[in-house]
Amino acid sequence: MKKYPLTKLLALLAALTLMVAACGDSEESTDAAEETEDTADAAEDTAEDAADTTDDTTEDTMAEQETEDSEAAASGDAVAISGTESITATFLPKCTNIPVFPQANDGAVEAATELGSEEAAFVGPADCGDATGQIEFMTNAVTQGVQAIMVSNNAGDELAPSAQAASDAGIPVVSWDSPIPSAEGESVFVAQVDFDETGQVMADMARNILGDDGGQFAILSATPEAANQNAWIAAMEEVLAVDDYANLELVDTVYGNDVAEDSVDQALALVDSYPDLELIMAPTTVGIVAAAQAITQEGLCDEVKVSGLGLPDEMREYTLSGCAPEFALWSFQDLGYLAYYVAYGLATGQIEAVEGQSFTAGRMGDFTIEADPTRDAGLRVLMGPFTVYNESNVG
Amino acid sequence: MSSIPALSALRRLRPDRLKELSLVALIALAVIIFGLVVDGYYSGRFFNRVTTSAVIVVILAAAQALVVISRNVDLSVGSTVGVAAYLTADFLQNNSGAHPLIAVLIAVAVGAALGSINGLLVAYGGVPAIIVTLGTLALFRTLVSLYSDGANVTADSLPDWVIELNGSTIVSAGGFDLRTTFAVAIVVILGLQWLLARMRWGRRLYAIGSNPDAAAQAGIPARRLTMWSFVGSGALAGLAGFMFMVRVGTVSATAGSGLELQSVAAAVVGGVSILGGTGTVLGAFLGAILIDTLRLSLVRVPQVSEFWRDAVLGVLVLISVITDSVLTRRLSRRAGSAGVGNRMEASTQAVEPTASTAPSPITTPVGLATREESIDV
Repeated sequence: MKKYPLTKLLALLAALTLMVAACGDSEESTDAAEETEDTADAAEDTAEDAADTTDDTTEDTMAEQETEDSEAAASGDAVAISGTESITATFLPKCTNIPVFPQANDGAVEAATELGSEEAAFVGPADCGDATGQIEFMTNAVTQGVQAIMVSNNAGDELAPSAQAASDAGIPVVSWDSPIPSAEGESVFVAQVDFDETGQVMADMARNILGDDGGQFAILSATPEAANQNAWIAAMEEVLAVDDYANLELVDTVYGNDVAEDSVDQALALVDSYPDLELIMAPTTVGIVAAAQAITQEGLCDEVKVSGLGLPDEMREYTLSGCAPEFALWSFQDLGYLAYYVAYGLATGQIEAVEGQSFTAGRMGDFTIEADPTRDAGLRVLMGPFTVYNESNVG
Repeated sequence: MSSIPALSALRRLRPDRLKELSLVALIALAVIIFGLVVDGYYSGRFFNRVTTSAVIVVILAAAQALVVISRNVDLSVGSTVGVAAYLTADFLQNNSGAHPLIAVLIAVAVGAALGSINGLLVAYGGVPAIIVTLGTLALFRTLVSLYSDGANVTADSLPDWVIELNGSTIVSAGGFDLRTTFAVAIVVILGLQWLLARMRWGRRLYAIGSNPDAAAQAGIPARRLTMWSFVGSGALAGLAGFMFMVRVGTVSATAGSGLELQSVAAAVVGGVSILGGTGTVLGAFLGAILIDTLRLSLVRVPQVSEFWRDAVLGVLVLISVITDSVLTRRLSRRAGSAGVGNRMEASTQAVEPTASTAPSPITTPVGLATREESIDV
């Protein structure tokens, strides 16, 4: 780790933030792994039958993610968000060409249809490497006078001024997947899973794969600036500091920039640089599949395993071959669905972006807006939970 | 000075050969220096890494050389890679029993078709190549985005041979593999080198690039040749698209984006002047290998942090190009006959290799190479 002083500093900073904003829901995370059978089906369902199957899983989801206090608040006066009018909105992903984002958009379209609203415009940079390209789309949305903006932030706090301009114009800005770190200009963040839980799940998968005697592993991330990946890595490092995980040695963190070729090169460089490396943990859907491909092609699957956050469709081959025995993800379609409900509720004035506001989001059930424990400022709605995939449920 | 036998041997070499020699020396130098810093660097493993990783850019550098020599440029090669890789992968996921050669043919045909669009517009439409290919760069990318609808073709849905091909080895000695994909790239490079250096078609491309007016007066069918050079460049980019699918396994609509600049950088570092008329495919190949060696080496130097790597790579490429041009000029001066060749003379003869030295390679290649490297790699 001493090789990347700036990374370390960032990680430390993020870890500190997490500790200061002490949150109480990290204990729920360990049993996420067991709760997987039903949600596994839901996550890989395609648009046409997602509505039916996820109804079954909603109960599990709810029971899982709601902490005691939010349940108390929610049981009273949850506003059922309903279709009152058609609104114009912009659904702005990090980029349009990574499959998870069109999936999220499918969810947003599903929600818009339910609410009798116009489909949100699905626009954004074509390339995820174009971090600041989102600013232009955000600014354009304000100029066009849309009634709500939903964004997966890829530009760090550089997005804040344009988000602030939107807020000033009375447009709710709902971030999803990746928040605006300072929360400036942001109404509320729809979090896929608790960031602490991501760290916990990654650490648990690492321990499962490396076994009781532990071993060396390395992280292959997206870009050094990606807010969500950095927070997950920081959360994972925090978990690793606990005795139970003392055998797991994180030797390096490298970045493949969410570009397949770069990720392949980085994964192979890790294998070369650390002869005792036993696992590559990639908290990005692009990185994990690139790493699995590289390790498979070089015939190194017996020595080095791959894990992290991945799409079942892309990882199936490698999970069944034993190269990537375990990985995790949440449903991006649900995330887009929930983000649209929140944005619609805010835009139509049915709910307000304040702590304690409870609401019902269609098929997904009840949620409560809370202070975001992972950031200094800002509000969040926590979706959850994780699905851990292995050869038994990858399909 | 001429007492040193090696130097007197250099006299008999053409400037192109000197350029290639100096690139080989630079690659060797880079490998020696990095070997002192990186543990386990002098190994078959690293050789295999570079050869498998460089295949795509090597083929694209050759494609670029083909059009740049005739004083054009093809900025759409990256998008062509994307279209060819995606369509080929899509074909394979629907026809998993298809023979690998069919897949190669599809990729090459798709590339050639796209290249012919460029060729028609440049040669017969009279639009400058940089404008045409900037346009098709965006156009081809949009086509594949729309066609894919954001969905990737995953390794799961591709036949097994696709995943196995990248690791397949023809011969192996002491950990040094000759991978099938790299062998194909070498064959392509040697074939093109022969075509350009020895065949009339190739020599005429040099003539067009050196002096289009003189070439026209000499009765060279410039339009037809330009057209075919773009078809060739597209076909090679299609082949690179096939290689991309084989290497990465999962093909997205962004496949290959940014490769156009890498290919220009590799060709120019390899001595292919963007002013046209000079350089060789072999040089472009060496340029690609040099850049990729530097890039992959830097990834293995722990002291260079993520945030500085691109900048360091840019500086290294700059240093290489300067060293290379100084070296080339020294050598050709020693060799005696440097600077005598007249570009126009050489080109009107059309069958003669251009005897001129590279037109001040310092100015153009440096700008291009560094700008590209700092943005992208």
